[in-house]
Amino acid sequence: MQHILEELEIRRQRAREGGGEKRIASQHAKGKLSARERIALLLDENSFEEYDMFVEHRCNDFGMGDQRIPGDGVVTGWGTINGRTVYVFSKDFTVFGGSLSMSHAQKIVKVQRAAARVGAPVIGIFDAGGARIQEGVDSLAGYADIFMENVLSSGVIPQISVIMGPCAGGDVYSPAMTDFIFMVKDTSYMYVTGPDVVKTVTNETLTHEELGGARLHSSKSGVADGAFENDLETMTQIRRLVDFLPGSNREKSAIRESYDDGDRIERSLDTLIPSNPNKPYDMKELILKVVDEADFFEIAPDYAKNIICGFARMEGQTVGVVANQPMALAGVLDIDASKKGARFVRFCDAFNIPIVTLVDVPGFMPGAKQELGGLIKHGAKLLFAFAEATVPKVTVITRKAYGGAYDVMSSKHLRGDVNYAWPTAEIAVMGSKGAVEIIFRAEAGDPAKLAEREAEYKSRFANPFVAAQRGYIDDVIMPHSTRRRIAKALRSLKGKTVSNPWKKHDNIPL
Amino acid sequence: MFSKILIANRGEIAVRVIKTCRRLGIKTVVVYSEADADSMAVEMADETVFIGPAPAAQSYLVADKIIAACKETGAEAVHPGFGFLSENAGFAQRCADEGIVFIGPNPGAISAMGDKIESKKFAQAANVSCVPGYIGEIADTAHAVKIGEEIGYPVMIKASAGGGGKGIRVAWNRKDVEEGFPAVRSEAKASFGDDRIFIEKFITSPRHIEIQVMGDKHGNVVALFERECSIQRRNQKVIEEAPSPLLDEKTRKAMGDQAVALAKAVNYDSAGTVEFVAGQDKSFYFLEMNTRLQVEHPVTELITGLDLVEQMIRSAYGEKLNIDKNLKINGWAIESRIYAEDPYRKFLPSIGRLVRYNPPAEGERDGYTVRNDAGVREGDEISMFYDPMISKLCTWAPTREAAIAGMGRALEDFHIEGLGHNIPFLAAVMDQERYKSGALSTNYIVDEFPEGFSGTAPTPFQTDVMTAVAVAMHRIQSTRLGQKPRDAWQVFVGKAEKRSVAVTASGHDLSIELNDEGRTLALDRYDWRPGSATFRGKLNGVPFTVEVRPANEGFVIRHRAAKRQVLVLTPMSAELHERLPEKEAADTSRMVISPMPGLVVSMDVVLGQEVKEGEQVCIIEAMKMQNIIRAERDGTVKAVNAKSGDPVAADEVLVEFG
Repeated sequence: MQHILEELEIRRQRAREGGGEKRIASQHAKGKLSARERIALLLDENSFEEYDMFVEHRCNDFGMGDQRIPGDGVVTGWGTINGRTVYVFSKDFTVFGGSLSMSHAQKIVKVQRAAARVGAPVIGIFDAGGARIQEGVDSLAGYADIFMENVLSSGVIPQISVIMGPCAGGDVYSPAMTDFIFMVKDTSYMYVTGPDVVKTVTNETLTHEELGGARLHSSKSGVADGAFENDLETMTQIRRLVDFLPGSNREKSAIRESYDDGDRIERSLDTLIPSNPNKPYDMKELILKVVDEADFFEIAPDYAKNIICGFARMEGQTVGVVANQPMALAGVLDIDASKKGARFVRFCDAFNIPIVTLVDVPGFMPGAKQELGGLIKHGAKLLFAFAEATVPKVTVITRKAYGGAYDVMSSKHLRGDVNYAWPTAEIAVMGSKGAVEIIFRAEAGDPAKLAEREAEYKSRFANPFVAAQRGYIDDVIMPHSTRRRIAKALRSLKGKTVSNPWKKHDNIPL
Repeated sequence: MFSKILIANRGEIAVRVIKTCRRLGIKTVVVYSEADADSMAVEMADETVFIGPAPAAQSYLVADKIIAACKETGAEAVHPGFGFLSENAGFAQRCADEGIVFIGPNPGAISAMGDKIESKKFAQAANVSCVPGYIGEIADTAHAVKIGEEIGYPVMIKASAGGGGKGIRVAWNRKDVEEGFPAVRSEAKASFGDDRIFIEKFITSPRHIEIQVMGDKHGNVVALFERECSIQRRNQKVIEEAPSPLLDEKTRKAMGDQAVALAKAVNYDSAGTVEFVAGQDKSFYFLEMNTRLQVEHPVTELITGLDLVEQMIRSAYGEKLNIDKNLKINGWAIESRIYAEDPYRKFLPSIGRLVRYNPPAEGERDGYTVRNDAGVREGDEISMFYDPMISKLCTWAPTREAAIAGMGRALEDFHIEGLGHNIPFLAAVMDQERYKSGALSTNYIVDEFPEGFSGTAPTPFQTDVMTAVAVAMHRIQSTRLGQKPRDAWQVFVGKAEKRSVAVTASGHDLSIELNDEGRTLALDRYDWRPGSATFRGKLNGVPFTVEVRPANEGFVIRHRAAKRQVLVLTPMSAELHERLPEKEAADTSRMVISPMPGLVVSMDVVLGQEVKEGEQVCIIEAMKMQNIIRAERDGTVKAVNAKSGDPVAADEVLVEFG
């Protein structure tokens, strides 16, 4: 009897070895941890329950019959992050380069389905070479099975992808369909076609980093939502992100006990807006001073910096913060900012996370490049996302809210629940100067007259009171009381229920 | 007494004057520029008068506007503070002509002391000791040697037109003069086209010591002891103290007597400062007299118990000096100037918004007294238009040792966010044995920080503090998340220090056993909550405050000048940390990085251009200062990421080389 039990331990040991000591050492030498080490860092101590550690591939072509390693290049299972269940799969580069076989895909699909069933996030860790070419179409079928689960789970459970090594070809599309992608600087890259193919097709010579490095994707392409220094930091931050999220769309996010008084007053916010209207200020200061404990998990901090998106808490309750950033491009809405903001708003709405919107927006970005790039349709995404969102929506206009961008930024007209403005707010069709130049075109040659008109227009519209008189703004609030007012508004909205008309799904301008 | 005084200044000194006026029941008027419209001084003053745009030349320096403001508000007197119009004899005279009392010395005294040569003549006449030297024509080397012998070595041979380190030599003996004089002369001729040379006593390792004097309109002048201001950076005072650790009673009296004699010689009738350069042998020589209240006056106030602003006001009003002739020095006071500058980046100015500003509480603490003279509040801006000083932090204690210890603690309790500041640097000085020993010199900073400042390595106590603080914070956080915290941890303090610890039960708020050392860290009286940027407590009975900032992993903890990232890890996680190789720092030599936030004034390279090391790449303007950014290596420009007119952040990559 005893030796039968021991046999299990021997088999487990073999599975845990993955591709063997040598390959793991080479993984370490590259600055990367092994698939199991990553899971150990991600999950609470000793909480990992592994599935399918004995699964092997069933391919006998091209010599694969002699090479079988238990686990088949991916470690799967579930565990907890600060006590809350998450499902996880972690590609093992030391086993067949982490390449995807049918059995490998089935392991992933198993955790995807389990996660959707119980309502828990799935975290996928990628470090792999792509399809198991020896398996041919089976490998492609495996990919599609994973894609299908990604799509079915989208909006049901949070799906997070962490790219910690190569991720190319078919492997990139599963992360692409998840909610968030994070990368590790210098040791990860992702692209549809690698440098060799690119060289053949377009004759461009590019490095992995130039074609798909973490810096590129987190700052220029917008594919990644963040990049971290190394595996350890990355896992710590993914844990932090998961703490903000609900397990599924069936639950509200976990409430964390707050040590921060909801009524806290911040006097220094009264001087946040510079007296010069063209001078920028850092919107992040407002966010950090308003939310609980200055704890803010920013999504895509290096991409489309003119809009800030991220998770925070108000009195312990997770909220999504969307804010224009005057420090970057004056906070203007352009194609990238609209896409970034829209995707974030839709995530929040899908997972019952209230949205706090902080507005200082001079409008949409003018220019041929933007128009050519389809600003109309991309800008409409953000408008669409805010409009369809049924979660509690609290908006504070700090300074500029001009033109169509005013409408877009979670305005009253898009079912904003509570819309506040600071006394410094200017809610208008456009800046006073531009407005006067159009209205009084006939006086264009008379600068003195124009200046007078501008002053007149300014005193009439460059304030929050016109909007407040019409009820588009619920109240004009003191900057120092912003936290208190948002906290109270969110408290009042706890019981909010609104639903959109029945439809199969909407048709957002993709 | 005056019923209303106008303060022709801004910032902390305006606030300082208002405080005294309030105590004396005098109404105050503050003038302000555009940049100061919402300042603390404006908020505190009884009346305010707007005097124009931010640049001082268009506001605080315009005598007409100040006089008009006095008339408009009916202020009977003007306190000029320091800087701006404070040493402008013309302005003092103008006030007198307009029937407004200038709270400062009479115009005659200001002009007598305002001219360097004139003031030396007065000093010589008043038998004040001046730096021995020879200003006349020097015929030849033999003559130079004769002068050198007369003055006594070492001497400095200096070209009259000299500058930038050229045309200066120190001669330690006759031979040095024989070699040096012709050399300096030909260098002077070649570099400046002017071969006039002068020779004066060279004071090795000089100290800056100054005497505070106070006079009235009745011919009385008293000396209020000395201040030592030897800790300077590029002639900018950084740390001052009173009294000076150098002086004995005899020297103090001699200096005081000379200062009083000089003041009397010019009918000095207000607060003033006679500056001396002193040798380590207590020899001292007159430098100049400042005819105003000095920035560092609080240290004198702390050791005398006097209010110098009050004395100035009374004296200006015509009252007789009422200072005890037997006044004795009481204790020791130190002043640290908190500047908006980044010590880690060669002290570059770091202006901006005070996102967080939490100074230590003023008043008596255990064993020391804190005074913080500031004119800013949280949310205020340190602007490019004026001096980048944020505040003057002073501590007083019965002894120098206790005052230094108090300053160290007060600096720990000073929390600023939003801009770079020199608090870690000041704390580093307080922790230096040389500073504690009082062996000061105006070369102190150059001597002690020859490579600039990069923080200090943690002492064993600081490593203990960081360990205990990190474990405490980790515990608070995990308990809050409903996790049952484990007791055994591996703590990394920076990359070098790894310790295995265990939280144990004891009578302390938190006890942490250091497994490898058989010691226990007892942490008490801490009240940190997630989100707080400072952590105060007592470690093994010693009080401390550290700054804590969450990092992507763990916390960055700063105690005084020591800053480390601290991780609290499970043994498994610790092993993995050690397993990963150290990541090579990004190769920044291929990039040109903005050293500070500012505006690109010009971008001087284009794509594909060959650039040589040292070549100008672009100009960044910050604080109205143009900074030329140069290439650190040869290369071909591969990317230009900023253009003229772009605002750039610190560390932003401006240009990349192939």
